[in-house]
Amino acid sequence: MKTKSENKFEFIHLDAEVLRDEKFEGEAIGFFKDAMLRFRKNRASVAAFIIILIIVVMSIFGPMINEYDYKQQNIQLALMPARIPVIEKLGIFDGVKTINVRKESIEEKYKDSLVKIVEEYKVRDVDMATIKIDMYKYKGVKDKYFWFGTDSLGRDQWTRLWRGSRISLIIAVLSMSVNIVVGVIYGAISGYYGGVVDLIMQRIIEVIGGIPLMVIVILFVLYYGPGIIPIAIALCLTGWIGMSRMIRAQFYKYKGMEYVLASRTLGATDRVLIFRHILPNAVGIIITMSALAIPSAIFSESFLAYIGLGLQAPEPSIGVLLSEGQQVLLEHPHLTIFPAFLISILMISFNLLGNGLRDAFDPTLRGQE
Amino acid sequence: MKNRECILEVKDLYLTFNTYAGKVHAARGVNFSLNKGETLAIVGESGSGKSVTARAIMGLLPKNANIDKGEIIYKGRDLIKLSDREMTDIRGSDIAMIFQDPMSSLDPVMKIGRQITEALRIKQKVPAAEAKKKALRLMEAVGIDNVERRYNQYPFQFSGGMRQRIVIATALACDPEILICDEPTTALDVTVQAKILELIKEIQKERNLSVIFITHDLGVVANMEDRVAVMYAGKIIEYGTVDEIFKDPRHPYTMALLSAMPDLETDSSTELYAIPGAPPNLLHPPKGDAFAPRNRFAMRIDLEEEPPMFKVSDTHYAATWLLHEEAPTIDFDTFKQKTLEKRRKFKEKEKNNEESQKPILEVRNLKQYFTSGFGRRKLVVKAVDDISFDIYKGEIFGLVGESGCGKTTTGRSIIGLYEPTEGEIYFNGELISRGQKHKGSRKFTREISMIFQDPIASLNPRMTVKEIIGEGLKISKLYHEDEIMERVYKMLEIVGLSKEHANRYPHEFSGGQRQRIGIARALIVNPKLVIADEPISALDVSIQAQVLNLLNELKNEFDLTLLFIAHDLSVVKYFSDRIGVMYNGKLVEIADADELYRNPLHPYTKSLLSAIPIPNPDYERTRKHIHYDPSIHDYSEEEPKMVEVKQGHFVYGSASEIKEYTKSLEIYS
Repeated sequence: MKTKSENKFEFIHLDAEVLRDEKFEGEAIGFFKDAMLRFRKNRASVAAFIIILIIVVMSIFGPMINEYDYKQQNIQLALMPARIPVIEKLGIFDGVKTINVRKESIEEKYKDSLVKIVEEYKVRDVDMATIKIDMYKYKGVKDKYFWFGTDSLGRDQWTRLWRGSRISLIIAVLSMSVNIVVGVIYGAISGYYGGVVDLIMQRIIEVIGGIPLMVIVILFVLYYGPGIIPIAIALCLTGWIGMSRMIRAQFYKYKGMEYVLASRTLGATDRVLIFRHILPNAVGIIITMSALAIPSAIFSESFLAYIGLGLQAPEPSIGVLLSEGQQVLLEHPHLTIFPAFLISILMISFNLLGNGLRDAFDPTLRGQE
Repeated sequence: MKNRECILEVKDLYLTFNTYAGKVHAARGVNFSLNKGETLAIVGESGSGKSVTARAIMGLLPKNANIDKGEIIYKGRDLIKLSDREMTDIRGSDIAMIFQDPMSSLDPVMKIGRQITEALRIKQKVPAAEAKKKALRLMEAVGIDNVERRYNQYPFQFSGGMRQRIVIATALACDPEILICDEPTTALDVTVQAKILELIKEIQKERNLSVIFITHDLGVVANMEDRVAVMYAGKIIEYGTVDEIFKDPRHPYTMALLSAMPDLETDSSTELYAIPGAPPNLLHPPKGDAFAPRNRFAMRIDLEEEPPMFKVSDTHYAATWLLHEEAPTIDFDTFKQKTLEKRRKFKEKEKNNEESQKPILEVRNLKQYFTSGFGRRKLVVKAVDDISFDIYKGEIFGLVGESGCGKTTTGRSIIGLYEPTEGEIYFNGELISRGQKHKGSRKFTREISMIFQDPIASLNPRMTVKEIIGEGLKISKLYHEDEIMERVYKMLEIVGLSKEHANRYPHEFSGGQRQRIGIARALIVNPKLVIADEPISALDVSIQAQVLNLLNELKNEFDLTLLFIAHDLSVVKYFSDRIGVMYNGKLVEIADADELYRNPLHPYTKSLLSAIPIPNPDYERTRKHIHYDPSIHDYSEEEPKMVEVKQGHFVYGSASEIKEYTKSLEIYS
């Protein structure tokens, strides 16, 4: 017992050399890998990302899935309600529509397609009834399925919606990319050189930013005609300002960082400083900003379409669909519900994705995976 | 002391933080008690759990913190169990806290009068006039003059030290019984720090307050009275009275800390004692004694069992197996002796070497002004205002001064980050300061390099270590890729890292390791002159010594000349051959390190020397702080200039002042 305890109180490090640094375990974790690790932990963002992926895939392949064409008109089958196989058995999206008719016409016209009489009432001594009828049976096309219904010209809403979202996304991505390129270059020059250069460049931005956005955009679209490119460019007219301010702030922050100074003391040129030291550190912000810029571009595009400056018929976009739908909102809600639902999902998903990216790239959270 | 009433008791406090990485065990069973009217100092390195403990007492823990067990008893109540409402009543009126940064602990858009009276008016419903009266009294008590006018001013109109005084007044407004000071002087300059410490002591005595004083600086602790608790890795490992801790430390960590800190008396020809390694990661708290892996006197049992608190005397306890009756005794003297054997001696500097007579760097009338605004609103800041000095080959020239005195600007002007407003800088006899930025600058940038202060900000987080270190070589375009790699690996070895660290990113390294990477980056280009800008001030005491030793070693190995910029005079005194003291953009005194320490002439140097906290309680008790008032200089008639009063000893002053300085120099000798 005695020997054991003596052993216990024996010095062990006494002659050891200076302690070596701890060995690292695992792989080296780079910037993007680190961000990915953190992004994956954020469930909402990952879900949002998956939803966006699905929407993108659908906007590419969606229009091809059924047999209809986005511009194929069929006045006979105009304004059909939505009917989706399988789900129709649950009593929703089953092609049933509620209408008010004279009571006597039930027997004459709607005998076959009648589903249910909801209520009967009188208007100026005329017997009326609110009835539910199966539109597909009524029109004699029980074999057809318009998943999201049809519009006033009998065009398939499903096909048009996905084609519309494709075009909205193209406009958004296009305008976002232009915004990033212009914004990064402008912001980088302004922030890096500072002083008088910065002073002048910022005054120019203030002048541009001072002009009401919608006025220029409307004039621009009026002049060049409402195509994909003119609308995308119109959205860039002032859209890059936010990005350039962000980048300028980043450059201001990073150009005074000690590692940038260190590189300068070693004789690095401006190009090395900008592209090796400053820009890579601002990449996180740029990615986050782009993810957040897309929904606002989609929204602006929809707004333009809504006020009648959208794409020319028959080309759909989410905004065009919405503006068409709202005219018959109460009678044919399916024309508004589906595009509204899609645009809401898109906006929420992009915002969630943006937030997730912001947290993932947050330098203060580095190394805490 | 025993008959004093115990006012606050922390029992077995165990705190964890939820992070992405897992549970961080920040405090692992902290026990202490605070008596009425006493000061308890808690010392420890960053991450030792001292601030967390204080915040737990205040109930100010962040959301991701959990108190796993333990009690905090104040007046018979357990503060942990109180609701947020009840805690609000205690905060401020019973227990108040002062934070580290006076810049951010005051609301910038609120008049300071309102900030002081806010708590009084809201909590105690004191009428406005009465509250103001009390606030004015408090402001006077914390040493602010012109209180009536000051009462209606905003925080930006106060200097850092003044703001900390206001913060103290705010904390005292509701007459708390306990004052928790969390590093209240860390963000301040030494001379201001000395004044604030005096103030806290005074107030503590006057009001019979109980003070918990949290700091990482042992020198500051020695200044505070009563008891000291030393924390390491989430535990209190030793506590006792100031004298016991400083004169008879029992825990090897305390001993190591005391030996690792250079003070003004430290023999500068010997290596400092450096504690190897870094504090443990509290994600996975170690088994046994947390300090064991870094302890030279670790025993087998230290790795297996956690040591209990051993009693040394009635007031002195320490948690180390060395105090076990079967263990060999290691006291402070044997510790010092044993560790001294291992330390290397540096070569005595050969003064009369011909090479060392030649200045490698000459700075002549350097002026560096910064301007902002245009026309009438133009503002000129004279960061460096007409300074001249030489640095000789192979020496370490220390530049000290408080923040904002222009020492960093001087360094940056020399290396060419700024273009001087006026004046010349010669390197090896060639003018490098003007117009040469693009032509011949390559050559100079390789011969002068710089080590930066902040180990986090000075390494690009997007680059791997080998890219960071190799950058200088890559920029010079003189070497092939393979050659660069080879030299990077060699350099890593030299600064004590290994090849496998090369592919890592900076965030995986600790502060000390990062600073070593910074040193490697500066030295890989084979510079003749290295400018070290506060290379150790962001590091913990136990790491500081490692870096200083490394710098000293490399200096001999690479035959370097160093310009060492720092605000800590005791470190500069230990480390440098000659010292320049800067004040307000001007060099006020230049002398050999020992000479400056023995015969300071300029009143600012004297004040600086008198303000340095020294980890020796006897010295601290007798210390008189000399206050420097720049208005004593009357330069309206006589032009001041730098005059050599003794060989190698320059001082700044007017003719009549110089006469006086010379006279006092004769008295000294």
